[in-house]
Amino acid sequence: MSALLLLLPVSVALGATFAFLFLRAARQGQFDEVDDEASRILED
Amino acid sequence: MAASIIAGAGLERYYTMRTQPAPRPSGEPAAWADAPVEDLDGGLCEVRLHVGGLTCAACAWVTERVVLALPGVVEARVSPATGRARVSWDPARVDLDAICGRIAGIGYRPRGVAAAATPDRDLLLRFGVAAFCAMNVMLLSAGLYAGWFSGIAPREAALLRWTALAIATPAALWSAAPLLRGAGMALLGGAISVDLPVSVGVIAMYTHGVWSTIRGEDGWLDSMTMLIALLLGGRVLEQGGRRRAVEAAQALAGTAPAIARRTTAMGVERVPASQLARGDRLLVALGEQVAADGVVRSGRARVQMALVTGESRPRAVEPGDRVVAGAIVDDGSVEIEVEATGPDTLVARMAAELERAADRPAAPGIADRLAPAFTVGTLLIAALALALRGPGETIAVLVVACPCALALAAPLSTAAGLGAAARRGLLVRSGDALRRLAAVNLVAFDKTGTLTVGEPVVLDADPKVLRIAAALARKSAHPVSRALVTAASQRGVALADATDVVETVGMGLDGIVDGTLWSLRRGESGVVVEGLGAILMRDAPRPDVAQTVAGLRALGLRVALISGDASDVAQAIGAGAGVDEVIAPARPEEKVAWIRARRAEGHRVLFVGDGVNDGPALAEANVGIAMADGAASSVLVADAVLVGEGLAPVLAGLRVAMAADRATRAGVVRALVYNALAVTAAFAGFVNPLVAAVLMPISSLTAILGARRVGA
Repeated sequence: MSALLLLLPVSVALGATFAFLFLRAARQGQFDEVDDEASRILED
Repeated sequence: MAASIIAGAGLERYYTMRTQPAPRPSGEPAAWADAPVEDLDGGLCEVRLHVGGLTCAACAWVTERVVLALPGVVEARVSPATGRARVSWDPARVDLDAICGRIAGIGYRPRGVAAAATPDRDLLLRFGVAAFCAMNVMLLSAGLYAGWFSGIAPREAALLRWTALAIATPAALWSAAPLLRGAGMALLGGAISVDLPVSVGVIAMYTHGVWSTIRGEDGWLDSMTMLIALLLGGRVLEQGGRRRAVEAAQALAGTAPAIARRTTAMGVERVPASQLARGDRLLVALGEQVAADGVVRSGRARVQMALVTGESRPRAVEPGDRVVAGAIVDDGSVEIEVEATGPDTLVARMAAELERAADRPAAPGIADRLAPAFTVGTLLIAALALALRGPGETIAVLVVACPCALALAAPLSTAAGLGAAARRGLLVRSGDALRRLAAVNLVAFDKTGTLTVGEPVVLDADPKVLRIAAALARKSAHPVSRALVTAASQRGVALADATDVVETVGMGLDGIVDGTLWSLRRGESGVVVEGLGAILMRDAPRPDVAQTVAGLRALGLRVALISGDASDVAQAIGAGAGVDEVIAPARPEEKVAWIRARRAEGHRVLFVGDGVNDGPALAEANVGIAMADGAASSVLVADAVLVGEGLAPVLAGLRVAMAADRATRAGVVRALVYNALAVTAAFAGFVNPLVAAVLMPISSLTAILGARRVGA
């Protein structure tokens, strides 16, 4: 039970971190033009 | 390397120009005045623009750098593919006018983007949250289910249940909101969509989840979050196509220039295109774009009207010829008399048509048609369960009846079908178009540019004549000239050298070969080298026409050829292609009438065409396919566009559409069978949360696997 009390918040926090990063990326528009990055590498 | 040279040039140009204000006619609201500026966190502003005139990836790169060089600009992203830009800046240090003025200063045309075309991030965010919730709730539920077999302390179980409820709540209340709202709106409108039984299931599962967590029992929250995530994922896939159509419309509306040079009694003045009126005279010189639709009054030029005619090579125009807004003068200069401006120009009307088409609601899919009966059936069985069995069985019935696989079958198969068709060279505009394509039973082809390449090839020539003709033709970019040079090299005729070649627009070529002056002119059926002989030329059929027609007929479709050409020419091409029927000569309105008559007989017609005048026929047919190298106006009204050299994508696309249709139907049947079995089991009391947690994903998984086969 004590292990659960520690591991449960840790794993949920870990998952929430990834969810937060995804939300931030989506909100910044990183998924708006997913085809562009492929053509961007041709420029440099 | 080349890109960096161009970019360097662009940036240098910017430094020489930065002392000047943006070139914008005074008193005229800028094209970007209506751009929706959003306020970001931290006091920053962000705007979405469409930048017209980007012709390559390097242009986008230059634009980005130029904007980023402005003090106060935080971020600038310009999409080379769609011409859309996103800029964020600090309003205390720089403003939108300065940013757009800078873009306009290096020769591109920034415009505000309507809100509709900004990508729908909301759905993606909701999907992301739902997916996160689903994964975590499933993990916690696995612990609870394990407790069924190995035993679990009540306190630990309660901890897992409350955590699961906390995580499932955002999925149910926020992520699922579009589903619930969709069901509610449809219901208010007197319709039952497939969202309704889904919503009933979600509500039942969530309220039961809250109740059972309080009472210390296991609920169905894992099944619920999974279902919401899957359904939203299907929607994210679905929304892509619609957005693309709106983007295309905006790119199109950005093709006409904002400023024109008008000739008046006083001289030449620069005016904004929006102030032009019918009857104005405009000067358009080398390298400039025509700002309005009009008629050439004086001068000669070669203009590029790829947008409207589909001809990427420049076309010669002379007094009396029409030009359209957006056309680029490649050579020479002309004075034109304005006939239509602004929203009345051909490009603007085409863009408006395209945007309307994107907003048109699709026909209800098979899942929505089944929804009313399904919902009523489910609710009846649930009521029966409540009366005969108990609340546990009633909830179980509502849960397993939730038609996730039913709602997913069509979007997944359609998305897979659209992708598979695109890989085979047929770009289908919407899922609705793909479904209509699957139902086609009569295919009508246009001739020129569709069954044939639309370019002449040499049929028969005396090598001596061909040698002289090709020598002259080498100096010209005209399609006939290119065909002559190709024919010469194919036949092993050594190319001679021509000097002093003069090309007269609409006439032909003159030049000196082997010390003699030769003239190449248009002949009866081909070209003539005057004083030497004629070369026979004909429009060549596309290489895979016969195969494609045979394939279509093998699918049980009737194939027809409708041509504006003389009957004998069309009959010859039709016989070569192996079509069932040849209708020729047919004027554009006769093509439309013919299609309408076939539809009235109950045929579902697919029309494949490419010309400017094929637009009405493409629109009249159940499905219209345009050639990518055809006129833009035909590309715009078409449901699908064929890319590449041959016609094979028509056949491949039809097969894919039929496969997607079969997959949808099979998916619907599987979903219904699954639901019938699961509801029976739930009614009998055999379904508990663990069984549901295993069964429901399996049902959805079969929908996904069924759809994947479409693309195989």
